[in-house]
Amino acid sequence: MPTAFLLLMSVGSNYGQVCSTSFEGNIFSLEQNTPLESAVVEVIGSNMIVTSTASGYFKLEGLCPNSIIKIKISHINCPDYFGEIDLNKSLFENFYLDHKVEELSEIILSDDKINDLSTSSRFFSISELEKERYSDSGLATVLEKISGVNTLSTGNKVAKPVIHGMFGSRVGIIYDGVMLENQQWGQDHAPNLDLNAFDRVRVIKGASVLKYSGSNPGGLIIIDSSPPKINDTITGKTIINSSSNGRGGSIISSITSSRESGTFLRSQFTIKKNGDLSSPNYILSNTGSNEKNISITVGKNYSKSNIKALLSYFNSEIGILKNSHVGNIKDLLRAIESDSPDVINDFSYNINYPNQDNTHYTASLDYNYFFDSDKKLSSKYSFQLNKRKEYDLRIGDFKNIPSLDLNLSTQRINLNYTWSNLFNEFNNGIFFELQENYSNPGTGVKRLIPDYLNTKFGGYFISTFKLNRMLNFGLGFRYEYSSNDVYKYYRNFRWENENYEGRLGKYVINEVLSQKLIRKKVIFNTFSSNAGFFNEFEKKYSLSVQYNYTERSPNIAEMFSGGLHHSLASIEYGDPFLKKEKTHKILFDFEKNDGKFNFRINPYFSYSDDYILAQPAGFEQTIRGAFPVWEYSPISSIFKGVDLDFVYPIKDNIKFKNSVSWVNAKNYDTKEQLINTPPLVVNNEIRIISNNFKKFNAIIEHKFVSKQKLFPNNNTMTIVIESGKKISKVVDISTPPDAYNLFNLNLNWGPYNFVSSNIYFSLSIDNVMNKAYRNYLNRLRFYSDEAGRNVLFQIKIKY
Amino acid sequence: MLKNIYFRATLLSISLLLISCDKDDTPVAENEMEVFTKAVIVVTNLTDDSSETYNFEVEEHDHGHDHGVLPQTQDDDDHGDHTVIELKSSSEYKFEISFLNETDPNNIIDMTLAVMEEKDEHLVHYELAGNGIEIESYSGDTIDSNGNAMNLITKWTTSTATEIDVEAYLIHQPTSKTGNTRDDFGGATDVEIEFEAHVE
Repeated sequence: MPTAFLLLMSVGSNYGQVCSTSFEGNIFSLEQNTPLESAVVEVIGSNMIVTSTASGYFKLEGLCPNSIIKIKISHINCPDYFGEIDLNKSLFENFYLDHKVEELSEIILSDDKINDLSTSSRFFSISELEKERYSDSGLATVLEKISGVNTLSTGNKVAKPVIHGMFGSRVGIIYDGVMLENQQWGQDHAPNLDLNAFDRVRVIKGASVLKYSGSNPGGLIIIDSSPPKINDTITGKTIINSSSNGRGGSIISSITSSRESGTFLRSQFTIKKNGDLSSPNYILSNTGSNEKNISITVGKNYSKSNIKALLSYFNSEIGILKNSHVGNIKDLLRAIESDSPDVINDFSYNINYPNQDNTHYTASLDYNYFFDSDKKLSSKYSFQLNKRKEYDLRIGDFKNIPSLDLNLSTQRINLNYTWSNLFNEFNNGIFFELQENYSNPGTGVKRLIPDYLNTKFGGYFISTFKLNRMLNFGLGFRYEYSSNDVYKYYRNFRWENENYEGRLGKYVINEVLSQKLIRKKVIFNTFSSNAGFFNEFEKKYSLSVQYNYTERSPNIAEMFSGGLHHSLASIEYGDPFLKKEKTHKILFDFEKNDGKFNFRINPYFSYSDDYILAQPAGFEQTIRGAFPVWEYSPISSIFKGVDLDFVYPIKDNIKFKNSVSWVNAKNYDTKEQLINTPPLVVNNEIRIISNNFKKFNAIIEHKFVSKQKLFPNNNTMTIVIESGKKISKVVDISTPPDAYNLFNLNLNWGPYNFVSSNIYFSLSIDNVMNKAYRNYLNRLRFYSDEAGRNVLFQIKIKY
Repeated sequence: MLKNIYFRATLLSISLLLISCDKDDTPVAENEMEVFTKAVIVVTNLTDDSSETYNFEVEEHDHGHDHGVLPQTQDDDDHGDHTVIELKSSSEYKFEISFLNETDPNNIIDMTLAVMEEKDEHLVHYELAGNGIEIESYSGDTIDSNGNAMNLITKWTTSTATEIDVEAYLIHQPTSKTGNTRDDFGGATDVEIEFEAHVE
C-alpha cells in the first residue's frame, strides 16, 4: 500500500460528479509481452477500481471529460505502476508492467498486496534481486540486508538470524506455511533450509504471526512461493554462481509448468560446493562445504478448491574451522592470544573433522476449499525429518563416529477457517503436532539432547478490522498445550550436586553405572496475544503500533541439555525446572512514503519475565583441567532498540539508502548487559541506474559495525607456566572485537534476449578492501578473522 | 458440510499421525567411550630399580554456583589433593605415563594403546615451572613415523634439591612436536594433570 503514495500528488476535486467518459486499455508484461490478467486498475482518489480480463483489457467508466486522472495499476507479480492520463488527449492506452523494476524495489517498503498473514504487524521483504544475489550464501546472510536483523554464526557457513537482539527459539522460520523444525539447540545449529526453493522472503520484526506460532518475541521469517498462474506456461530460472573465495560455485535451477486445467508442477534443485575459505591473511582450514537440495511441488486448482503436495530434501555438509576444536581452557587462551590460527593448511576441498552433516526432509499436503469467495477452509499436513550428525576430533575406534547423532521428526496437522467481508477478516484454526527426538546410541558421547516425545495442540483466533480506508485494527489470541515426555540420563555427580533427588527422585526409572535415567512429563500451557493498529494519514504517513504478549515454553535444550562445547571449552547444562518465558513487547512503526525523502522508524521495547539465558555457573573439574559451566537460568530482561531506514534520490537515477539499527539488552535486576547483543550497525547504499543504457545498474554498499561496548564480563582465570613460572591469566572471552567498515560492489547487466529467454549477468565483490576483521556475533571469533574479499560472478537465465 | 469436512480431515490427520509413533521408547545409556578419566605415572629409580605409582584422577565435583559474581576465578589448585613426587638429587628416574578410561568399572579401557596407535597425532609434554630437572625420551618410548618420541616413557635427571611445579599434557594433533613450552606444540589438550616434583 505505501508504494501507492510514492508518486501521488494532489488529487483533483471533480470525482464527485457523475460523468460518462471512459478510458480503456490493455496491460501487458513488459518482458514476455503477454497480456496480464487480474491486474487492478485504480483511479487514485476515487473508489473506481476495475480488473483486467484474460486478454489484459480493462475499461474505466464514468470519468469526467477533459480532466486529468491519476491511475495506479497493480498486479501480484509486478510493482505498482503509476501514471497520469490526460483525458483530453487520449481515451485508450496500452500499459507495460515491468518485472525488472521489481527487482530493484526497495526493502524499505512493505508489501501489503499479499495480505495472507492475518496480522496487523508490518513486514519487510527482500527484493528478488537481493535474494538472487545471495543465492550462493545462506538464509541468514540475505536477511542481514534488513535493518534490525543480524547474524549469529559459528564460522562462515553456520549462521542463524537474530531479530531485535533475540535468536534461537525466539525467532521462527515459516516455510511453505509450516514452522521449520530442525535442531535449533545451540548457536552452531543453523536453519536447514534452501532459500532458493522459494520466491518470497518476508520478515516480521518483533512479533509472532499467531496463525503460525505464538512463541517468537524476536520475530518471524516467512518464506514461501507465489501461486503459479493458471494458464499453459512453462517458466524457469537457472542461476550459476562462481566465487573466488573458497573457489566455489553453485547451480540453482527451477522450472514451473502450469496448465489451463489448473494443474502445476514445480521442481527445483540447488548444488553448492566450496573449498577452504580465506581470510585476508591466511586460509581458514577445513571451512569447505557442500550442499544438495531438491524439491518438487505438484498441485491442482479446481473451481472451488485446490490441492498441493510438496516433497523436499536438503543436505549440507559443513566443515568447521580446524583449530576451533580446543581441549581445554588453556588451549582457548592460547587461541585468543594468537593473531592467527595455529593450523593453516594448503587450500583443499576436503572436509575433515570437525564437521556437521545435516539433512532435512519435508513432505506436506495442502487442501483448500472455498465455500464462497469470502470463506475458505485450509488444511495442511506436514512431516519433517531432521537428521544431524556432528563429527569431532576423536581418537581410536571412535575416530569416524559422530559425537552427536540426532533424529528429529515432526508431524503437524493444521486446520484453518477464514471468513471475510469488505472490511473485516477472521481467521481461526486448530493444530495438532507430534515431535519425537531420538539420539542414535553408540556415539560414545553422552546425549547433548535427551530423547523425547512432544505432543502439542491448540488453537487461535485472529481478526483484522478495517475501520475505515485509513485505519486497520488487529487482534489475535493463540493457545498452546505442550507436553514433553522426556527420557534423560543424569550423571550421579550432577544429580548429587544439584540435589535432584528430592525433586526428580520419583521419576527415576533406571540406574546404570554412574547414571540415572528419569522419565518425566513436562507440561506447559501457553497463551499469546497481540493487538495493534495501522493508520495512514495525509496519504503519506503511516503509523503502526503493536502490543504483543508472548508466552514461550522452554525448549528441550534449555531444560535438559548437558554437554561439552569444544569451541568454547565450556560445559552447558539445562535447568529442568524452568518456567515459561513471558514477554511483553511494544513496537512502533512510523513511515513516510511520499516525495523524495522517505523513511521508516521502528522503535521497540520489551520486558520479559523468566527470560531464559545461558549464564556462567562455576567450574567442573575434568582430567583436562577446570571447565567453566554454563547453565540456562531465568532472568528478567529488558530490550530496547530502534531501526531506522531512509531512501533519498540524489538524482533521478541515483538513490541513496541508509539503515541504522541499535539495540540494548539488559538483565532487569542486575542491570548487566546480555551477552551477544548486536552492536550498532549502519548500512549505506548507493544505487546507480543508467538512464541511457537501461540494462545496467550498480550498487555500492558500505557497512559499519561498531564495537559493542556493552557486554557482560564472563571472563575466567587460569594458571599457566610462563618463563619457568606459574602465573595467573585472564581468559578474555567477553571483550568484543573492534569496529569495522566493509565495502561491497554489485554490478548488474540485463536482461538480454537469448534464445527466447532472458539472460542477466552480475559481478559482485564482497569485502572489496579485503579488510581483516572479527565479528562479535561469531562464536569462532577467538580463532580467526572473517573471510576476506570474494568476487562473485553470476549468470542468470529466465525462461 | 463444514462440520463434515472438519471431522473427516481431523480423522484422517490423526490416523496419519498415529501410524508412526509406537516403538520401545526407553533409550539405552550412553557411556563416554574415548574419554580419559585417569592418568597413571609409574616412577622407577634407575639406580635401585625401586618404583612408585601415582594416580591422577578427577573426582567429579562442582565448585558451586556463583551467578553474578564476576569475574569468575578458578582455584589455583586444579586437582584437589596435590600430588607430590619425591625424587632424590643427582639421580635418574624413569617416568612411564599411561591413560585409562574407567567410566565403566567393569570395562576399564587402556587408552594408552589408542594413543600409541595414533602415534603421529599424539604427544606427551611435561612443562616445568623451574629449573633443575632434565627430561628426555627413554628406551621403550614410542617413536612416531617422523622419528619424534612420544614421551610416554621418559628419563628424568635431577641435580640439586628443588621443588618444581609440573604440568603434564597429552596433546592431540600438535602442530609441532618440537618445543619447550606448551604453546610451542599447539593442538588440543586431551589430558592435563599437575604435580609437584620434590627433589631432596
